[in-house]
Amino acid sequence: MQIFYYILKRILQTIPLLILVSIISFFIIRLSPVDPLAELKLNPSISKETLQAEEHRLGLDKPLTVQYLLWAKSFICGDLGVTTTGEKVSVKLAERIPNTLLLTLIVILLTWSVGVPLGVLAAIKWKTPFDRILTVLTSIGMAIPSFFFAILLLIFAVKSGWFPVGGLTSYNFNEMNFIQKFFDIAHHLFLPVTVLFTISLAGLQRQMRANLLDVLDSDYVKFARAKGLSENKVIFKHALRNAVNPMITLLGFEFSGLLSGAALTEFVFQYPGLGRLILEAVMKSDINLVMASLMIGAIMLVLGNLIADILLILTDPRIRAKA
Amino acid sequence: MKRFLYVILIIIFLTFFLKACLRRDIADDKSIKNNIAKTEVNYNFPPESKNVVIDNIEYLQSQAPVGKFGGELIESTIGEGPKTFNPFSSKDATSSSLAGLMYDSLFTTSAKDGKIIPKLAKSYETKDGKTYIVHLRKGIQWSDGKPITADDVIFTWNDIILAGLGNTSTRDAVTIDGKLPKVYKIDDFTVKFIIPKPFSPFVRIMASQIAPKHVFEPITKQGAKAFDLFYSTNTNPKDFVVSGPFKLKEYKAAQRVVFEKNPNYYIINTDNKKLPYLDKLVYLIVGDLNNEILKFEGHETDVLSLRGSTVAPYKMKEAESDYKIYNLGADNGTMFIAINLNKQQGSNGEFYVNPEKQMWFGDKNFRTAVDYAIDRKNMVQNIANGLAKPLFTAESLNSIFLNKNIKGHERNLQIAKDYLEKSGFKYEKNKKLYDKNGERVEFDLYTNAGNTEREAIGVMVKQDLEDLGMHVNFKPIEFNTLVNKMTTTFDWDMIIMGLTGSPLEPHDGKNVWHSYGSLHLFNQRTKKPNFDDRLKFEKRLDEIFDLAALQTDFANRKKLYDEYQQIIYEEKPIIYLYSPIRIVALRKKFKNIYPSQLMGITYNIEEIYEDKN
Amino acid sequence: MIKDIFNGILKDKFATVALIVLCFIYFCLLFADFIAPYSMNYTDRELSYVPPSPIFTIDENGKLSKPYTYNYVRTYDADLMQTIFKLDKSKKYYLKFFGRGEEYFYFGFIPMNRHLVTVDKDGRLYLLGGDINGRDVFSRLLFGGRISMTIGFLALFILFPIGLLYGGISGYFGGKVDMLMMRFAEAVMSIPSFYLLIILAAILPSNMTSTQRLILIVVILALIGWAGFARVVRGMVLSIKNQDFVKSAKMAGASDLRIIVKEVLPQTTSYVIVAMTLSVPGYILSESGLSFLGLGIQQPDASWGNMLKEAQEYINILYRPWLLTPGFLIFVAVLSFNLIGDTIRDILDPKSKTR
Repeated sequence: MQIFYYILKRILQTIPLLILVSIISFFIIRLSPVDPLAELKLNPSISKETLQAEEHRLGLDKPLTVQYLLWAKSFICGDLGVTTTGEKVSVKLAERIPNTLLLTLIVILLTWSVGVPLGVLAAIKWKTPFDRILTVLTSIGMAIPSFFFAILLLIFAVKSGWFPVGGLTSYNFNEMNFIQKFFDIAHHLFLPVTVLFTISLAGLQRQMRANLLDVLDSDYVKFARAKGLSENKVIFKHALRNAVNPMITLLGFEFSGLLSGAALTEFVFQYPGLGRLILEAVMKSDINLVMASLMIGAIMLVLGNLIADILLILTDPRIRAKA
Repeated sequence: MKRFLYVILIIIFLTFFLKACLRRDIADDKSIKNNIAKTEVNYNFPPESKNVVIDNIEYLQSQAPVGKFGGELIESTIGEGPKTFNPFSSKDATSSSLAGLMYDSLFTTSAKDGKIIPKLAKSYETKDGKTYIVHLRKGIQWSDGKPITADDVIFTWNDIILAGLGNTSTRDAVTIDGKLPKVYKIDDFTVKFIIPKPFSPFVRIMASQIAPKHVFEPITKQGAKAFDLFYSTNTNPKDFVVSGPFKLKEYKAAQRVVFEKNPNYYIINTDNKKLPYLDKLVYLIVGDLNNEILKFEGHETDVLSLRGSTVAPYKMKEAESDYKIYNLGADNGTMFIAINLNKQQGSNGEFYVNPEKQMWFGDKNFRTAVDYAIDRKNMVQNIANGLAKPLFTAESLNSIFLNKNIKGHERNLQIAKDYLEKSGFKYEKNKKLYDKNGERVEFDLYTNAGNTEREAIGVMVKQDLEDLGMHVNFKPIEFNTLVNKMTTTFDWDMIIMGLTGSPLEPHDGKNVWHSYGSLHLFNQRTKKPNFDDRLKFEKRLDEIFDLAALQTDFANRKKLYDEYQQIIYEEKPIIYLYSPIRIVALRKKFKNIYPSQLMGITYNIEEIYEDKN
Repeated sequence: MIKDIFNGILKDKFATVALIVLCFIYFCLLFADFIAPYSMNYTDRELSYVPPSPIFTIDENGKLSKPYTYNYVRTYDADLMQTIFKLDKSKKYYLKFFGRGEEYFYFGFIPMNRHLVTVDKDGRLYLLGGDINGRDVFSRLLFGGRISMTIGFLALFILFPIGLLYGGISGYFGGKVDMLMMRFAEAVMSIPSFYLLIILAAILPSNMTSTQRLILIVVILALIGWAGFARVVRGMVLSIKNQDFVKSAKMAGASDLRIIVKEVLPQTTSYVIVAMTLSVPGYILSESGLSFLGLGIQQPDASWGNMLKEAQEYINILYRPWLLTPGFLIFVAVLSFNLIGDTIRDILDPKSKTR
């Protein structure tokens, strides 16, 4: 029951946060001199009347605060509005969200299943050459600009012929049976996953390493050691459980990154994900689309933190007492 | 042991270093020229298609060689993909061209000479240039089997185009003296159009695509909002009823658009079999040029448009490869520098362009000097890798209205300086240019950031003008912001831009050249002022564009449009730089390819077939 | 403490190498005007995309010689649709060290015309080839590096004071102030930083000089980064403020701001140093990402990011590999910063939670 109240309180707390986010982002987007109708205006065959009609449709002829209030009203009613090109924002988001979830979930799963053990290993072998070399290796992944790495991999794909050149599915995807479909998607996902994996591995590995070192230095681990427990037992039975706790908080943050994803990587690989959509929308100030995705991002962040907190309460008795 | 290792490492390093330092000067005799396929420039065309009657159905018979049925062609489209499949509400090129595959127009343009030739309609006739009688084909059908009749044409015009649904640009273009054309049904297969005055661009507009009445009628009754969302990209492909060679099969956002052949198509081959040959036509949606190239290289697409800078490696490998390179000649695109001649004040009483600059930019000698300082030769060589042509006129080089008497000129700094001196500009000792009031000549040059080609042009123009002693601040800015400057805030001096023109109809450029046009770049007006503030040459341009549209005779029109090009060349409110040459690579397995400077390469998509041998 | 850090770095082989590399890079950038054979905007239009100049030390007769080079001549082959560069072997151009070349102002005011390497008159020495406009890639690398390698530090100088003060105040006062300030920081954090960066970059007024633009980009980078940093500082301050020395300062009647700045914040120094070294490479990468989208440093100015943008076209990667050098330098610089950052963290703060 207590947990229930706690959750309710947290949810209520997020409402002002969401309002704040929406105000900040709405006004900075609208203050920028970016013209959402630029492409239309540069098309000599589009008449003045059409342009005026478009401006009216998008409400660009109204004052800024009115625009915001209109947007907020329809957002609360669950209507995300239309894009500058007249498509429904909800439809566009629905097309992209599953793809981004697929990509980022795979990446998170991979980095966690590789990064956490590597972090543990590095912490156990702290101050040995092994630890150092591991850190250096993961640093290399962090040092390449993601878009450049992606381009190099694409060229590798072209030259070797081993991987498809970007995208998510082959053009004859619909004629495939289930197993072929599965392999087709896996084939397409391989390179983008590789890029995102190499880039995010280092951070996770370091975090885990630091956490475990922190715990290994604490009094109760020293006490456990003094009791004469074997080192393996100390690490895997006592230390590890506690070192994972801060990682759960981190997971909460990664949850929000899920949707915004990795815009540049998606862009280079022509991956039909949300990151690329938002990137293109931001570049031409497609306000409804940008706002909708930013709000979803913010909600995901809040949700992620909430889930992490609940997980923490469930796993850690000390915090449970406080809550 | 360890020290030993270090020593070895250092020795190896030093040997490599020395090896790198010592480089022998040997005569090289590489000649790369072997086995080069010659790229033609002139192409042949098959005889024109004929109208034939078989079993009381009036087909259009393609005269191209008979090919094999089956196969698929994969193209790519750059950008975000189509926004809608409704040909009447599309506002961007990708949407229009994809919708164009599904909806045929009444008439089309001959790829050979730009003449108007029949498509969905059989023929048309006019006596006075005001009344047009259009004869439709008897017995041809929509993809769902319903006949295509005069009712569909009347409906399309009266209930969609003239009613102002969707993209109203067509309606605005046919509004002559504030009056709309009238459309009448004569019988089931004959339609009459009446316009208040002879208006030569009308025929091409009249050729507009036709909507199936039985599908569109319920929607038009629901109003404009419903119409805009109709046939949007998330429509179930089964709901499309089409007249074109292909019909939507699948649309995957940001990935691809797949079309399948329309079994009821009205064009047949000389064996009297229904076209198109291809079963499937796929458009992959790619984000940028780089990706388009990679997709072609990875054999995922069959056609690739090349720019000058990317042609060379493909040309080298052409002989051993499975593609052929076609030179389609000058492109519809033009690259130019626009100069801001705006002398108006904003609502806060401030000038958009400050008065000193107004004086320079408003001075014809100044603009001419700028033109003479520009090094088009090296622009073509460096930026387009030699595959472009210097441009001096407002029409693209493939236009049938091109004024061939405008010869242009080479770069000449001396002439440029002479022009500047004529207007009282002078040089101080430091070779810097000052105007007659002693003001340093300094201004901004914008272009859209992220476009390597335009940025490189900007760098060159900056250097060229600095050779004249001007101080140019070159500033690439984000595209949408740049357009906002150009069309709304007007706070710019010079802009490097490109526009796509129409090689067949200069009247399409009216929005650019007419004083009150929506894209009158160099002197954009927000509203009609209460006095006539047009420059002298602007007045003449307005007259020319109004007059030429009313002429029905080609020679008379040509004369007027020649004059307009001459005016632009002399007054130089926009300085044209170059026009790229279009090069296309296409897999050899596709046959019936007749490249055309006017229409591109896969315009005759129903005639193209795949020959796997 | 600085001595500790230095000794620690020297003990670690990777970090030592990284430090040497970074020192070398910064040395070259500092003396860029002298080391570069040409200025940043020196252009020879006949040399658009010219390959690197070969340097010969053994002449055609097999004898050792003073190092020399040949000029490239450009021809255009219409059938091949290709520009062809050939060495013009009729005239040798000898390399001269410390010779006279283009005039420049050292540190902006000392007029000089000596360059590390020059060639005889009319010769062209493009050590790393030319770019699309026919400018020397090697020289532009040096000048562009000045921007890329300092942008991170400039951002830090803006970001850290803001973050420290914000986090300090929030943590020190606690309660409602803390709650409000942290909600605001969270709101900023929950807008994905990359999009925020793009939106803000578009707001930059266009009538700025490139230096102003650079500074504003830095400010934007800083404006985005402060929130996360402030949160961590706040967390540290929360635990510091209950310690005895803070309490005694309060008893002594010091003002709150004084306590925060003089007593509390100095306790976070090691974290700040570690966070600083580890965030510099992030800024170098951000700049290249912005340039990739055309929103970073603009032509005709050079930065490694916008040079890499030009290189990333397929044809350039395969056929003009010399254009890729900025990518390589970004990689080396970022890696070096990371290695040093890791080492410093292990020295100062082995249990740190910084990533």
